[in-house]
Amino acid sequence: MKDSGLDVLLSRVVKPARYTNGEWNAVHKDAAGVRARFALIYPDAYEVGMSHLGLQILYHVLNSHSDFLAERAFAPWPDMEEQLRSRGCPLTSLESGTPLREFDAIGITLPYELTYANILNVLDLGGIPIRAADRGEGNPLVIGGGPGAVNPEPVAGFFDAILVGEGEEAIVEMAEAIAGRSREEALDGLAAIAGVYVPSRYEVTHDGPGPRGAVTPRGGAPETIARRIVADLDAAPFPTRQLVPFLETVHSRVTLEIMRGCARGCRFCQAGAVYRPRRERSVETLLRQAEEAVAATGYDEISLLAFTSVDHREIQGLVAELVARFGDRGIGVALPSLRADAFSVALANSIQQVRKTGLTFAPEAGSERLRKVIGKQMKEDDLFAAAEAAFSSGWTRLKLYFMIGLPTETDDDVEAIGDLVHRLAQFGRGALGSRQNRLQIVVSCATFVPKPHTAFQWSAQEPREGLERKQHLLQQSLRSRWVKLSWTDPGTSALEAAISRGDRRIGRAIEAAWRGGARFDAWGEHFDFGRWEGAFQEAGLDMADYANRALGYDERLAWDHIVAGSGKAALWEEAEEARAHLPAGGQAEVEV
Amino acid sequence: MAQLICRYRKGEEIRWISHLDLKRTLERAMRRAELPLALTQGHNPHPRVSFGPPLPMGATGEGELLAIQLDQAMSPGEVKERLNKQLPPGLEIVEVWAAPPHKKRETLGEVDVAEYRIIVTGEVDGEEVSAGVERLLAAEALIVQRGGERPEREVDVRPLILSLRVARAEPGEVELQARLKTGSHGGARPQEIVSLLGLEDERRVARYHRVGLHASAQVRAPRAGVMRRWKRSRSSGERS
Repeated sequence: MKDSGLDVLLSRVVKPARYTNGEWNAVHKDAAGVRARFALIYPDAYEVGMSHLGLQILYHVLNSHSDFLAERAFAPWPDMEEQLRSRGCPLTSLESGTPLREFDAIGITLPYELTYANILNVLDLGGIPIRAADRGEGNPLVIGGGPGAVNPEPVAGFFDAILVGEGEEAIVEMAEAIAGRSREEALDGLAAIAGVYVPSRYEVTHDGPGPRGAVTPRGGAPETIARRIVADLDAAPFPTRQLVPFLETVHSRVTLEIMRGCARGCRFCQAGAVYRPRRERSVETLLRQAEEAVAATGYDEISLLAFTSVDHREIQGLVAELVARFGDRGIGVALPSLRADAFSVALANSIQQVRKTGLTFAPEAGSERLRKVIGKQMKEDDLFAAAEAAFSSGWTRLKLYFMIGLPTETDDDVEAIGDLVHRLAQFGRGALGSRQNRLQIVVSCATFVPKPHTAFQWSAQEPREGLERKQHLLQQSLRSRWVKLSWTDPGTSALEAAISRGDRRIGRAIEAAWRGGARFDAWGEHFDFGRWEGAFQEAGLDMADYANRALGYDERLAWDHIVAGSGKAALWEEAEEARAHLPAGGQAEVEV
Repeated sequence: MAQLICRYRKGEEIRWISHLDLKRTLERAMRRAELPLALTQGHNPHPRVSFGPPLPMGATGEGELLAIQLDQAMSPGEVKERLNKQLPPGLEIVEVWAAPPHKKRETLGEVDVAEYRIIVTGEVDGEEVSAGVERLLAAEALIVQRGGERPEREVDVRPLILSLRVARAEPGEVELQARLKTGSHGGARPQEIVSLLGLEDERRVARYHRVGLHASAQVRAPRAGVMRRWKRSRSSGERS
């Protein structure tokens, strides 16, 4: 964005620094010397995308290769979109201001379902036909990847290829397959790479409403796509020259990925189910990366990223050494994910730079029974021990994550959330004594969304009316001056479920919603459930068929061609085990 | 503990960075440069750095000021050299000097005059702008609304305009020079001047460049009239 025309645009939008580049550690390469040029896109606002480690890893891997180049772009905020459209300007990359249509490949993260309308918008603004079928020789290859790739079907029609799994190694193979090739040759090459799904090489049949159907290969394409895994995390490339945005982003700090995968087996959690096996980086490697990253970025905080960072086998030694090395330089250490137990709190307390603003725990369910159903290995005693340790170490604010609408949940389970929180508040007031006025328990309540490749992938999501009633119930039971409650909009959760378990047909609804103006659906102020309902109708689909129906074991599911995690038989066994904990003497309101 | 003053340039490349983001950018650069920064005490230590009056977003400047406290000696030359290696395009340390030893803090708090160059392009006519400037300077009071959305506030910026003139006029482009009060005791914003001249709309683009920042003690004596108005405004309790 160099010319003065764009300067005028910048004077008319909020946060113009989203579009101006020049961040520290940004890479500016001469396009003339490379064989494949990538534009890496995160389909949400700049501040969100710049906090995504995956994007930084791929940017680093491609740019450290002399044959390849990677630049970045993000979803432009609606004010910028209006400026671009009204002036007929294409969306360009940050680094060189090149229109997206001029790149060889567009790499797009699939972070969560509610960004999918933004993907179409970015392609359209970049001058690229949104449907893969409409692209030809002169158009870039559009490649997807990231968490959403484990069920690629909803967006399959918009992508030329989708990488299922981890990208550190695969991205280089993909760049090689594209470099200097015709479109057809490139697609052949991509289809031959382990973990890469080329949707146009598959036949899709539908056996009925909802995600029933089969995806079968045409020609020589593989029958199943196994999720790509980096075998040796310690040796895997990791960016220590992390991009340092000017704007305050979601995470303005050094991120060290200490572990990938999760040791726990929560049955609702897709990330835990597919990011397998669990792998750790060694303390030696992490300390070296910490030194390099701090020197290269100037950040004053190091965050230890993992699903549960305290599960790293050497976490105590790692934290102690980081504090010893960086503490007196004014550089803090942060543990973004804690376990609810006294050990975790003691560890957090040992990090002296941590301001004691709040600790977060995730009981997920209020009753012991329901925690058994979902496979959450947390005992109430652990939570109280964690709370005791927290209050006695000076914390006064706890944040608790719960979910409603979980399989087998009854009103008793919902009321158990209120009961647990009240007892915790009571306990906190006692423990804090004269400082009890500062006690605050923040309860954040999400909605259960059945996700592919989890034990609960067959479970129905409770319809909106039921969820709204339970939220009301929760509100009633949590009235207290010590407690603050927030919850997810049930419409958002319904859409998330419908897309998450979607098949190829869902793409029509996504396209209709985008044409109807859907943008930034993950942002409450932009989300319009009515618009999405209309879009599903226009596509001849019913959201409930995807979100609110319990699926059968023998149904062929839209994501059965993707191999990620445990496999169907093992997952079904898990689901059976969950069913063993039905409420005493009662009928479950939602079938597992 | 030594205090150093840095004069820096905020150029084209980063003119869209807010003051808050610029502060963070400079503090991170200082950490990368491994300057022996003095840190504040407490659980969440941060470097003792203070900044001159913020530059509006979209404006450039060549006389911007910041002050840093070091807890070990380092020569101004070395600070400048180290820091410049760590600054993104568009940011440059132009000059570094040691603050007078008796001044501990608030060295930059004395800065109260800002000199701007304002270039308006588009549908502008030099004679009309000159007439507008005369009208402004002749006015008893110039009331502007402050505060954006919520608590709107009225401020008389006339006493805060120390001087204003058309420096250059070409077809489609007019350059203004403005010397405005700034700082914690009240200041006028260059955008307010452009707005008062009726030049702030879709048909024109205004570019702001801050030429320098001064403490009025060091500034050439302003014209008597201006000085009188300024004193009057101070004694009548102008605050912001």
